Amino acid sequence: MSGSARYLLSRAGQAVLVLWAAFTAGYVLLQLLPGDAILIKFQNPELGLSPEQIAEIRSYYGTDGPGAYLHTLLGFLRGDFGYSIDTGTPVAERLAEGLPATAKLAGTAFALAVLIAVAVAFASCHTRLSRLRGALQAVPSLFVSVPAFWLGIVLIQVFSFRLRLVPVIGGSEVQQLLLPVLTLAVPISAPIAQILARSLDQVRAQPFVPVVAAKGASPGWILWRHVARNALPPTLTVAGLTFGELIAGSVVTETVFGRNGVGRLTEQAVNAQDTPVLLAVVVLAATVFVLVNLVVDLLYPVLDPRLRRAVA
Amino acid sequence: MSSSAPRPVLASLAVAAATCLLSACGGGGTAPAAGAAAAGKPVYGGTLTYLEHQAPTCLYLPAAGFYPNGGVLNQLTDKLTWQNPETLKIEPWIATSWEVNKDATQYTFHLRDGVTFSDGTPLDADAVAANFDVYGKGDPKLKLPVAEFVNNYERSEVIDRNTVRFHFDKPSPGFLQGTSVIGAGLVSKKTISLPYEEQCQLKNVVGSGPFTVAKQVVDKEIDLVARKDYDWAPKSSEHQGRAYLDQIKIIVTPEDNVRVGALTSGQADYVRYVQAYDEQTVKDAGFTIYAEPTRGVNNGLYLRPANSILKDVKVRRALQKGTNAKEVVDTLFTPSYPVATSVLSHLAQGYVDLSKELAYDPEAAAKLLDEAGWVKGADGVREKDGAELRLGVFVSGPQPLSKQTLELVGQQWAKLGVKLEIRPADAGTQAVDIKNAEKTAIAHSMVGRADQDVIKSHFHTKNRDVILSNDAKLDRLLEEESALPDEAARNAKVAEIQRYVVDQAYAIPLFEEPQVYGVAPNVHGVAFEAVARPSFYSVWKS
Repeated sequence: MSGSARYLLSRAGQAVLVLWAAFTAGYVLLQLLPGDAILIKFQNPELGLSPEQIAEIRSYYGTDGPGAYLHTLLGFLRGDFGYSIDTGTPVAERLAEGLPATAKLAGTAFALAVLIAVAVAFASCHTRLSRLRGALQAVPSLFVSVPAFWLGIVLIQVFSFRLRLVPVIGGSEVQQLLLPVLTLAVPISAPIAQILARSLDQVRAQPFVPVVAAKGASPGWILWRHVARNALPPTLTVAGLTFGELIAGSVVTETVFGRNGVGRLTEQAVNAQDTPVLLAVVVLAATVFVLVNLVVDLLYPVLDPRLRRAVA
Repeated sequence: MSSSAPRPVLASLAVAAATCLLSACGGGGTAPAAGAAAAGKPVYGGTLTYLEHQAPTCLYLPAAGFYPNGGVLNQLTDKLTWQNPETLKIEPWIATSWEVNKDATQYTFHLRDGVTFSDGTPLDADAVAANFDVYGKGDPKLKLPVAEFVNNYERSEVIDRNTVRFHFDKPSPGFLQGTSVIGAGLVSKKTISLPYEEQCQLKNVVGSGPFTVAKQVVDKEIDLVARKDYDWAPKSSEHQGRAYLDQIKIIVTPEDNVRVGALTSGQADYVRYVQAYDEQTVKDAGFTIYAEPTRGVNNGLYLRPANSILKDVKVRRALQKGTNAKEVVDTLFTPSYPVATSVLSHLAQGYVDLSKELAYDPEAAAKLLDEAGWVKGADGVREKDGAELRLGVFVSGPQPLSKQTLELVGQQWAKLGVKLEIRPADAGTQAVDIKNAEKTAIAHSMVGRADQDVIKSHFHTKNRDVILSNDAKLDRLLEEESALPDEAARNAKVAEIQRYVVDQAYAIPLFEEPQVYGVAPNVHGVAFEAVARPSFYSVWKS
């Protein structure tokens, strides 16, 4: 077996372990919460059910018992996530409905965040005016401090209600995506811009840069061919980690904009303490997180020849 | 009104700040054409965009009291009778006439001929009997619970195709009004024979109403279209035949300021739940605010006598006297929220004015607490036998500005030396602790229904039992009320119950909770049922 195949295999093994841990931790924590979805749903006073009747309904759902963990785990392995207690629909169906919308939102927002980050980092690196440079370097701190729900509401107020450029109710698909994408992209771009700008500065201070310059390379050639390339790996790591923020951000963004996606589904499942949905969301998020970081790790050797040898 | 969903209060506050900022710097946008009073003749056609605050939950008809559910179901279903919201009298609808025997144990309804459900099946005596058999008795096999608007139901009897009789084992004077409430919407025989889980889903609800469901994106949007062959509006309605609108788009928009902004910027026509602090913005933009009364048990704090501190009536009376409801309304709300003058709304049947008994009197309150043996400790909180005078309450998701209301009351009580512990409405903890009088000494709630029975719904141990009552006398009074065939005698009994509840200080009424809607100036024919759920049947756009 070649070295890289063994590396891949061990990484895949780690990924499975992480997923199992996420599932188990999620399962245990959800069990520890006070109350349950059935109680929340059926204690509605208009229904006037007695505690005994609620207990009867609970046994009908079969959510109790020691075998439940294994049963649920095996179900997940088969791709059967069970039924939402709140709506009675299969969890897989609800995820399938929500995923495309969230993937579109999060994917576009991530692309925009990278664009913003690159623009800010290179501009701050390139400019000679110290005041502008200072201002640009402060941008990431500003962006990271903006709460997503606040930004979303301000964007709606300005662009939809005041300037009437984009409707929030109705409108085409692109129109519906514009403001949420911006809302989600701004806070995500901050850590990427911060790390990229700092790495660019650090790499530029290294002795090889004057050497390359002395050999006659133009500033542009130095920045793109040498500095940027060396500054990328740490940025990539951070970009992989921002995925967690994308998930958290989509919960807020989808709620503010009333979009139907995994984020909104999560928010509603939390309110209703809909355990099957929450568990599936946890595992889904963990899966994507693991995959993204696996891709990032596999990209390192592509960017850095030194790592290529280490892997092989 | 019942199921709770936390509102992002933080978000609302941030927005309030952001909006101020914007209105200070902005040019005020375009002014909508105010004074489109020249309504003229109704126009057919058009789409109404209606923004709803919360997603509908289970759409089983008896659970329609929850406003997001009611807003949809009121368009899809008809009722046997129609309660005129002005007079509160019961008028003919699907039943063209009816007879009630002297002790209100037998009701005979004569149905209109030719009414059909949207699946084509007839709305006949058979279908009506099937509906009320479930609403009156429930169906344990199908997991269908009994509806709170039917009391003492025994059985139905189909006399002929268009005549149905209901029998009760005890007098049930509230039944006639019960046939008019939102939860008594009539659904097809197929719908009513489905198990609970399936009746919950909108796609299975088949009614005879002026609109039908065209499309649903769960938790996001419901599109309704007019039923072209609808021809059985209540007899007294000026408008007959099909609805004016072609289509209604009901869009769930949880953010308060997005709803209001979408309305004033012309993206929506009609919104539910305008917060008190947004009312002026909406009016200033030339739009109309409808603050519709809910005619039931007032928004208030309900004190639980089973709690070890509140079991002392003196403490309960002290809290009642030490609460300044007027300050709550003046500080947080608007004239759309009248200060409570009894347990019931002044528009409720059997209402009696108890404002004198409910007067704010902090000195008397302090004196009562002294008498009850609670003395102020070092930190200003009263103590007795080493225990602090500390009472727990949950923020109530469905009640407007519940957290702010409780905080203000908490400040009033702090002056008396009482500590109010306000807990966030986290669904799980609340579901467990709400039925525990020790942990949840007080409930913040209300209930709307335009019938004397509303007070029984709120307080009886077999109904909502908001105070987790251990008072057999209260239960007895409520049962007597619900079985009195004579209207005047019933009203007198309701008055007696209000006096009793206030005297025992089970209730600290705060205000008469309205449902507040914002409507664009080009929308006409706005109407509500007796408990403030919108009816879009006669709505039209110019």
